[in-house]
Amino acid sequence: MSFLLPKLTSKKEVDQAIKSTAEKVLVLRFGRDEDPVCLQLDDILSKTSSDLSKMAAIYLVDVDQTPVYTQYFDISYIPSTIFFFNGQHMKVDYGSPDHTKFVGSFKTKQDFLDLIEVIYRGAMRGKLIVQSPIDPKNIPKYDLLYQDI
Amino acid sequence: MAPAQRCPLCRQTFFCGRGHVYSRKHQRQLKEALERLLPQVEAARKAIRAAQVERYVPEHERCCWCVCCGCEVREHLSHGNLTVLYGGLLEHLASPEHKKATNKFWWENKAEVQMKEKFLVTPQDYVRFKKSMVKGLDSYEEKEDEVIKEGLVSWKMIFPDGPRQGMAVPDPEEGSSAPRSWKGMNSQVASSSQQPSNLDLPAAPELDWMEIGPSLTFIGHQDIPGVGNIHSGATPPWMIQDEYIGGNQEIGPSYEEFLKEKEKQKLKKLPPDRVGANFDHSSRTSAGWLPSFGRVWNNGRRWQSRHQFKTEAAAMKQSHTEKS
Repeated sequence: MSFLLPKLTSKKEVDQAIKSTAEKVLVLRFGRDEDPVCLQLDDILSKTSSDLSKMAAIYLVDVDQTPVYTQYFDISYIPSTIFFFNGQHMKVDYGSPDHTKFVGSFKTKQDFLDLIEVIYRGAMRGKLIVQSPIDPKNIPKYDLLYQDI
Repeated sequence: MAPAQRCPLCRQTFFCGRGHVYSRKHQRQLKEALERLLPQVEAARKAIRAAQVERYVPEHERCCWCVCCGCEVREHLSHGNLTVLYGGLLEHLASPEHKKATNKFWWENKAEVQMKEKFLVTPQDYVRFKKSMVKGLDSYEEKEDEVIKEGLVSWKMIFPDGPRQGMAVPDPEEGSSAPRSWKGMNSQVASSSQQPSNLDLPAAPELDWMEIGPSLTFIGHQDIPGVGNIHSGATPPWMIQDEYIGGNQEIGPSYEEFLKEKEKQKLKKLPPDRVGANFDHSSRTSAGWLPSFGRVWNNGRRWQSRHQFKTEAAAMKQSHTEKS
């Protein structure tokens, strides 16, 4: 299903996407196309992308091709989904230790839709961090790797 | 008790049925209304014999209220520059609808029968009025002609050599054209009468007594033979098409610009305090640009995260090069 969504293959393209998406939530999925969890996530993303076309723009980024961003965004687990709005990074409190990105896949399409809506509303009201509407049971668990340990 | 009825003359509702019209109050109102209308009608009657034609003045727009028909009537008839006094009122009084309405009014309000005749104008009277109107127009024209001639005489006395360049034509000339158009006369007659006055118009030398006060700089006569000017009705310079206008000759924004304007309109409707409202989407950034990202292990504000990342990256690079 990943061939339905646009892909970004270089830092320049990612920069372009971040700068040019106006008044819509930018969803960047960092991962690899072959990874099974990525495939699941990509499925959900592609099925909801048309419904969200007015609110969000979704892109897939391969972590191997953009090492700069892999380090800058501190991506240790894939898939990681990062949200931007008008060039500003949007943080979401999922109940997990990392608020800067969503790690893993969503359980249902509705979870993703709700999340996007919450982010969009928060951004419209000027909030840089929002509270996730997803049930904490459905959030994938992971251990945060401590830096330099 | 009779049903409620409204008497338009007294402007009141009453419950007496047919008895109201015989009451003192009603008859008094009736008398007053007719007394208001009577002088106008009398003046109009006088005008049947001798119709007066006057120059148009805004006062001639006045309307008179006809009680019988319950409508406003233009008193004077005006056309262009001229007015025929009481023309409108007479026309109305002679009309058959007014006759019917007057009869009805007299019957319903139980007014005096002798008075009725005064408010009606027979068709023969109206024809007589029309004849006198034509006579009046003729005499008005003759008067205007006389005024023009007098004006021309005085004009010639002031300017024996003819008018200077750029002088305005005196006013009576304009008034004379109106009755001529009224009668529908040939325009040739009008122009031929004006020509004799323009025959002696050579380019005049400057007259001393015209220059009062500081003298103006004379920049030369601006008549180039062949090329017209504003007086001769030539095309204005800004209407002349240039030989080449780059691209297409459409005025105004192109279609893309119009679409962009529509987008901007939509943007204005968005809340102004949304995230990144002042983000410049079209700015050129260098290759090393990083978005503002609140990193996981960053201490301090978001904008510092970029800085921190860069220093960390530099440190890592150094340690790599050291190792190798």
